[in-house]
Amino acid sequence: MDSLIKLWFSTGLANFELGQVVMMLVGCGLLYLAIARNFEPLLLLPMGFGAILTNIPVAGFSEVGGLLHYIYYAGIDTGIFPLIIFMGVGAMTDFGALIANPKTLLLGAAAQFGIFATLFGAIALNYVPGIEFTLKDASAIAIIGGADGPTAIFLASKLAPELLGAIAVAAYSYMALVPIIQPPIMKALTTEDERKIEMKQLRPVTKIEKIIFPLGVLIMTIFFLPSATPLVGMFCLGNLMRESGVVDRLSSTAQNELINITTIFLGLGVGSKLSADAFLNVETLGILALGAVAFSIGTASGVLMAKTMNKISKDPINPLIGAAGVSAVPMAARVANKVGLQANPHNFLLMHAMGPNVAGVLGSAVAAGVLLALVGG
Amino acid sequence: MDNMQQQFIEAGTLMLAGMVFVFAFLGVLIIFINTVLARLAVKFPDAIVVPNSRTNKKSKSHSKSNGDISPAVVAAISGAVKRYRAQHSQDK
Repeated sequence: MDSLIKLWFSTGLANFELGQVVMMLVGCGLLYLAIARNFEPLLLLPMGFGAILTNIPVAGFSEVGGLLHYIYYAGIDTGIFPLIIFMGVGAMTDFGALIANPKTLLLGAAAQFGIFATLFGAIALNYVPGIEFTLKDASAIAIIGGADGPTAIFLASKLAPELLGAIAVAAYSYMALVPIIQPPIMKALTTEDERKIEMKQLRPVTKIEKIIFPLGVLIMTIFFLPSATPLVGMFCLGNLMRESGVVDRLSSTAQNELINITTIFLGLGVGSKLSADAFLNVETLGILALGAVAFSIGTASGVLMAKTMNKISKDPINPLIGAAGVSAVPMAARVANKVGLQANPHNFLLMHAMGPNVAGVLGSAVAAGVLLALVGG
Repeated sequence: MDNMQQQFIEAGTLMLAGMVFVFAFLGVLIIFINTVLARLAVKFPDAIVVPNSRTNKKSKSHSKSNGDISPAVVAAISGAVKRYRAQHSQDK
């Protein structure tokens, strides 16, 4: 009889707590979004599964000695996984459109207003009972507005590791929701005539420009913002491997096998932070709400900046490409192209939108560096 | 309450400093692209790629099918035609 009782107490059924069941359902929700709705499946699938694993009673996946515990501390707490992913993203990024039309860097800069404006929202949420965000927490939450998953995870792991799970879920969910969140804002802020604007064809960019560009960006970051060099440095390394043309094997590994392997572990590691006590609270709701606000403000400020530039610049600029400044590569550029095509079926904005889109990646990395330098110390 | 006010002031300062820095950084990058990279592009334009007949047999056959005959073949044919015409003019 004793053995039977002992066996019963070692089962999951006897040890389940309500919070764990709810978090497993959250994990299943993420799996549903990944599999059925195709929302950022590469990350939401391992993240959702990680959420299920970490909430299994008795198994201790996230306790000392558990697999997820080591994955988290080896790769996310140290900041290694997001940086490796950033290298892969660099190896996949073509800066040609940006170099051909460098003015679009201003759109990438304007869209970062979403990050900094959200800081106020995060602080204001302290008026809500049960929520207490410090400036470090607020900065980690605000980076969701950069719409850049690795940057958000990197900054959250440095400034507010206890909020990492909610921040990562919010960041990737909103990135997946770009085609739903952005078009209404873009349409509300532009006229039909503005959306029809056709832009001048981009000039061809030479190989030497593409090789020197990442080196130039790195040197500038070293000089002006060393706190951003982990992100920008890895990004530039990946991009240089791609553009130099002499290490195709390394470039291919960085943008395929390495980024894929790291994505599996990153997803599992973030999922391990989705435990009931860390996720099921009012703060998570606040983070999800602030993420949406950050994203919307970023989109709006990018569009408004493009509108202003269109009025000043001698070459026409379609304001829709400003929305791509939030990064979320290449989804935001595709959305700009799609909304442009709805207004003018002969207007292909994709290449023009890729400029602000990759500028947004640089902009959010710089914004993260600024937050790290000013708040992280 | 004072603490909240203090945090709002800090957030405002952070926003101002952050946006100014992001614009300044990316602005300097624009200058870098318009000066250094633009000059490099003029000084070192991309080399025009000439298909190498020795290294790629496939491209050779492809170029033939497109009617894009290599200069060596053109020279050989012109030489042969010249000789043929010269011989025929001697016969007359």
